[in-house]
Amino acid sequence: MIEVEKLTKRYGQHVAVDDLDFSVKRGEILGFLGPNGAGKSTTMNIITGYISATGGTVRVDGHDVLEEPEEVKRRLGYLPEAPPLYLDMTVTEYLDFVAAIKRVDAKEKRRSMEKIMDLVKIDDVSGRLIKNLSKGYRQRVGLAQALIGNPPVLILDEPTIGLDPKQIIEIRNLIKDLGQEHTIILSSHILPEVTAVCERVIIIHRGKIVAGDTIENLSRSLRGSHRLAVRVAGPEAEVLGKLRSLAQIKQADALGSREPETVDFYVESEGDADVRRPVFEAMSESGFPILMMRSVDLTLEDIFLQLTTDEAIEREEVQ
Amino acid sequence: MLAVMIREFRAYFQSITGFVFMGFFLLISGFFFTLMNLLQSSPDYTSVLGSITFVFLLVVPILTMRLMTEETRQKTDQLLLTSPLRITDIVLGKYLAAQAVFLMTLVITILYPILLSFVGRIAAMEVIGAYIGFFLLGSAFIAVGLFISSLTDNQVVAAVVTFSALLFMWILDWIQQAVPSDRLSGVIFAALLVTGLTLFVFLTIRSWILSAGVLLAGTALVVILFLVNPQLYQGLIVRVLEWFSLLERYNDFSRGILSISPIVYYISFSSAFIFLTVRVIEKRRWQ
Repeated sequence: MIEVEKLTKRYGQHVAVDDLDFSVKRGEILGFLGPNGAGKSTTMNIITGYISATGGTVRVDGHDVLEEPEEVKRRLGYLPEAPPLYLDMTVTEYLDFVAAIKRVDAKEKRRSMEKIMDLVKIDDVSGRLIKNLSKGYRQRVGLAQALIGNPPVLILDEPTIGLDPKQIIEIRNLIKDLGQEHTIILSSHILPEVTAVCERVIIIHRGKIVAGDTIENLSRSLRGSHRLAVRVAGPEAEVLGKLRSLAQIKQADALGSREPETVDFYVESEGDADVRRPVFEAMSESGFPILMMRSVDLTLEDIFLQLTTDEAIEREEVQ
Repeated sequence: MLAVMIREFRAYFQSITGFVFMGFFLLISGFFFTLMNLLQSSPDYTSVLGSITFVFLLVVPILTMRLMTEETRQKTDQLLLTSPLRITDIVLGKYLAAQAVFLMTLVITILYPILLSFVGRIAAMEVIGAYIGFFLLGSAFIAVGLFISSLTDNQVVAAVVTFSALLFMWILDWIQQAVPSDRLSGVIFAALLVTGLTLFVFLTIRSWILSAGVLLAGTALVVILFLVNPQLYQGLIVRVLEWFSLLERYNDFSRGILSISPIVYYISFSSAFIFLTVRVIEKRRWQ
């Protein structure tokens, strides 16, 4: 549905987007992940035809955004980083205007308008001026705007920013539902959001793709070992010695004390070995009660940090 | 285009700019109508329109300063430019909205000649002709203001620059009388134009070869024209400045003459600035 090839955007000497290649299949939800200034918004602005690329091509449904901009724009709903709202209009007036410039015909408009307002839950503020709305409501009006005309492709730039936790969950579920009929690109720097909503993630950093895969594959490829966090009531040095003496443990570190008279440890096992039982037995032999034990899997946060912090990248290059 | 126009037109009256424009325009025109027609018992209404052209200097910046600047500032240009609208539609919609506010105000002032017609004889056709000219003149100024508002995202800057640009057009007639009109200065002026064009080409595409080409071709043209027809350089500066003299062309209207050439001039002047506005917005996407 969306094909991006060799996309590059330069601002003078600064390269904002550097040789990006990816594609999104029909009905897929793609997560676009990266720290601030990574080039997420720039890429989205190019796909939607707001700015032009320095090099490379973008095709939506087979139409090139440079050659047939109107064909592409007809198929897109776009929620930019800052929702493009006219503050001096009421919500209904605004959505009517959007429907008019998207050339939605009157019958279709009447049918879809109520559905959309109900979907993003803004029907209770439909008659109010947008400038009097809270940030959360404005964000939802922005989302409603993107949905008008029922475009097959949705480009959402940080759609849940400025919402409270309850609204965030609502919007995420909404996006998931929309994903059944629409092709969606969603950008975020909130990682759980991407895990919750997207099937596939592209991580970009400094305008380059540093990783692109399904979330499971990403965490599997980066996870070489199992890790445990353990809280033990006992003297630090002795417990550490016991842990290190166990056969299947690659590494054990003390993390310090968070609860009086206990010490937290970080235990890393060799390969896929399950070390919970040996750890328990070793501790109970010595009479040090284990107060907490939990496995620490690599979350998207870890993946993200590993891929995007410069130290991690440099370390990779050295190896 | 219509949707953009309607939205823009409403926005004028949702804020105070529309009312300030109308109020100020009606105040000045009413003042001059009272002074020149009522108090002097004169039925000569066309000269009232001729006298109040200076009001454009003050009210056109009010009308045009927010047109494109607000879109850029509020980032609503992102909505317009990612919708299936063409840039020309957006710009034309905005231009027509400003023009509509102006036209509406102008329609109210028709009351004045109607009032006059009760107490005296007025030349109806002349008044209609003067109104056509007045509307086209104002529209040309609005096009300049629209263009300037696309260059910045600050309303105050847009207003001040528009005011300065209009003021420059006002004093153009005086400047014309002061500039030298001999052949030598004409040649120097042509050389300056070529240099300016070269600089513009270089700054926009940064190609040495093409800029050198433009410089050579321009110089060759200036020299050839001088050899073929040196008369051409006589009073060249004055003639070039005359292209921008909008007010000069209004004189016919206020004398009651409705001629085609100023009408064509005003319309092409407006079109040129609308076209430039479209280009500016188009170009910004490439930066």
